[in-house]
Amino acid sequence: MRRKPILPRVWHFASFGAPGVVVYLCFVMAPILISFGYSLTNHNPFNPPAEFVGLENYRLLFQDEQFLTALRVTTILTVIVVIVPNLLGLGVAVLLDRKGWLYNALRSMFFTPVILSSVVVSIIWTKLLDDRGPVNDALRALGVEHPPGWLSDPDLALYSVASIVCWQMLGFCVVVYLAGLQGVPAELLEAAEIDGAGPVRRFRAVTWPLLAPSLTINTVVLLISAFKTYDYVKVVTNGGPGSGTTATIAFDVLATGLDANHVGYASAMAMVMLVIVATLTTIVLRFLRRREVDL
Amino acid sequence: MRRSFALGAALLLAASLTGCTVGGGTNASGGEITFLTFETPNLPPSYWDSAIKRVTDRDPGLRVKKLVAPSTDRTGYAKQLLQSGQFPDVAIAVDSAGFAESGNLYAWTPEELKDFQFPGANPIKGGHHQLPANTQTIPPIYYNKKLFADAGITSTPSTWNELLAASEKLKAKGVTPFTIGGGKEGFPSAMLLDGLVSVDVYGKTPDWLSQRRADQVKFTDPAFQQAFGKFADLVAKGYLDKTQVSRDYSATEAAFLNGEGAMYPMGNWFAASADAKKPPFEIGVFNFPSEDGKLVVPAYTGGGIVVNAKSRNLDAARKFALAFQLDKQQIDASVKADGLFPAIKGYTPPADVGPVFKAGYELYKEAVAKDAVVNAFSWETADDGLLPGMKDKVYQAAQDVITGRRTVADACAFLDTEWAKAR
Repeated sequence: MRRKPILPRVWHFASFGAPGVVVYLCFVMAPILISFGYSLTNHNPFNPPAEFVGLENYRLLFQDEQFLTALRVTTILTVIVVIVPNLLGLGVAVLLDRKGWLYNALRSMFFTPVILSSVVVSIIWTKLLDDRGPVNDALRALGVEHPPGWLSDPDLALYSVASIVCWQMLGFCVVVYLAGLQGVPAELLEAAEIDGAGPVRRFRAVTWPLLAPSLTINTVVLLISAFKTYDYVKVVTNGGPGSGTTATIAFDVLATGLDANHVGYASAMAMVMLVIVATLTTIVLRFLRRREVDL
Repeated sequence: MRRSFALGAALLLAASLTGCTVGGGTNASGGEITFLTFETPNLPPSYWDSAIKRVTDRDPGLRVKKLVAPSTDRTGYAKQLLQSGQFPDVAIAVDSAGFAESGNLYAWTPEELKDFQFPGANPIKGGHHQLPANTQTIPPIYYNKKLFADAGITSTPSTWNELLAASEKLKAKGVTPFTIGGGKEGFPSAMLLDGLVSVDVYGKTPDWLSQRRADQVKFTDPAFQQAFGKFADLVAKGYLDKTQVSRDYSATEAAFLNGEGAMYPMGNWFAASADAKKPPFEIGVFNFPSEDGKLVVPAYTGGGIVVNAKSRNLDAARKFALAFQLDKQQIDASVKADGLFPAIKGYTPPADVGPVFKAGYELYKEAVAKDAVVNAFSWETADDGLLPGMKDKVYQAAQDVITGRRTVADACAFLDTEWAKAR
């Protein structure tokens, strides 16, 4: 009996995986490495060649009030964007987990914002939340003499931006939770009902544990997208009103790199952001996955 | 053998065609160039297309490929193009700072600049890289004549105290004296600050920003703080509405044209909209008042075409730039569409321009005649301009004072800190 040659088999798997590996190396790893390289220099596109400055950019970064403010803004935004669409999405998904044309229509309605461009969404909400926009006009019609400055009040603007992100991401969470709900075996729920469990108990004891993978997906996707928030901030507030009220790290990276031409320093910001996102994602994944395994 | 022959024939044909294109024609510039433009409601595609066609009609060998910046941030887009090796041969209204120092822009000769009124505008390391095609006064103050009359204001303010008195009368009538904006553009929230620094600081020390670059003065110095303090005083007196800082530029303009707010500090380009949109009230304009009534008019001259010094078709690019910029029909169109004051020797605007443009142009001509023109703070683009990235910091400082997040002293200290970082 002849043994199959090993080399063709290796070649078979290598050829299968190679395109993906090449794409990953070229479009993910290479830019990260190039960015890291830039972060160790004082690179300015108008003033080549760049000089090697070692970790100086990183040292300055953690003394930079603007960066620390951006870090605070990004953290607040991320906490809101991870929690709110997750909670609301779960509630809406439970309500919509029924058959019938009305529920189908409502599902489509909730999902529509997800497929819109974030820039379009931002423009629409900028108009709605303007001090002379329909939201405040409605409040004035209801007798509110001085309605809030949703985008002009420095204490409110960040929450307005976060609300817009939540609004768009809600549909995504709803769809993921609905998929999870539809994967819950009916027999388990029936068995629980026969055992005398009410709707709340059934949800807590049967449905919720089985939704763990959906929670993991939603949390990780929301965490990553919230940390990279740039487009909403750029269009809705341009980082304002004033200094650092809504400027996220991603926004600061582009402002510092493209407007002020400090590419080296901006690259250091981007690297710090990458490390934070990677660390948080790993922690969250480990925590939530353990919950899935425990089922 | 046959393949080698075919390859040789193809190369010969290609070489001969290339030779025809580059060397073809004696009077024509020849070749294809790329031209980076931008579009706004005032300057739609038809404006650019017809202006380009007029030049190429006169120069049949020249082909122009129009590129359009995806947003009003032409400079940012030009940087992206430069980084990706696609820097256009010709670009208009792109801030030349950075591009010029790094050797990417052609420096115009005195002979080429002979038709321009201010050939010495915007020097960068001694070179003049952007055609000084037009001047913009930034900001005169546009006002609603009806609201002024209703408040009993009979003459336009020429001193700071007169401006405050007029503002008080307007406020007493329930009118917000100043219309401001901000939003994603930022600059409409700093227009009053720009005017104050230009008139009060540059009026006394015209090279103040050059001194700032040399670290001889600071934003925290009394002269700058005093001007900023007047801005804060307008806020404290309730003469501008802090909720307006979320409004973008077009919404700000619309608000003034809808009769919200009596005064609108804005660049003279607003005159084109004011004349075209014809609001139901008359609009007047006056120079930004100084402390004692001395005439000081902030202005920026530039905004014209820059040429890629490394262009493969440099000769054609230069010729196109000059032909485009000096074409009378194009200049007339820019006057009507964008309210620009052409800085071309011997030029007179068409007789049928609107009244708001005419009024602003007369104010500017008087300032030129009296040698009362100074740089417009935060709009300079050359060796005497703000460092890259600092414009946004000025807008932020202005907004912080409007919204009450920073005192004047803190805002000035913030600018000094950001200046040190921008170096």
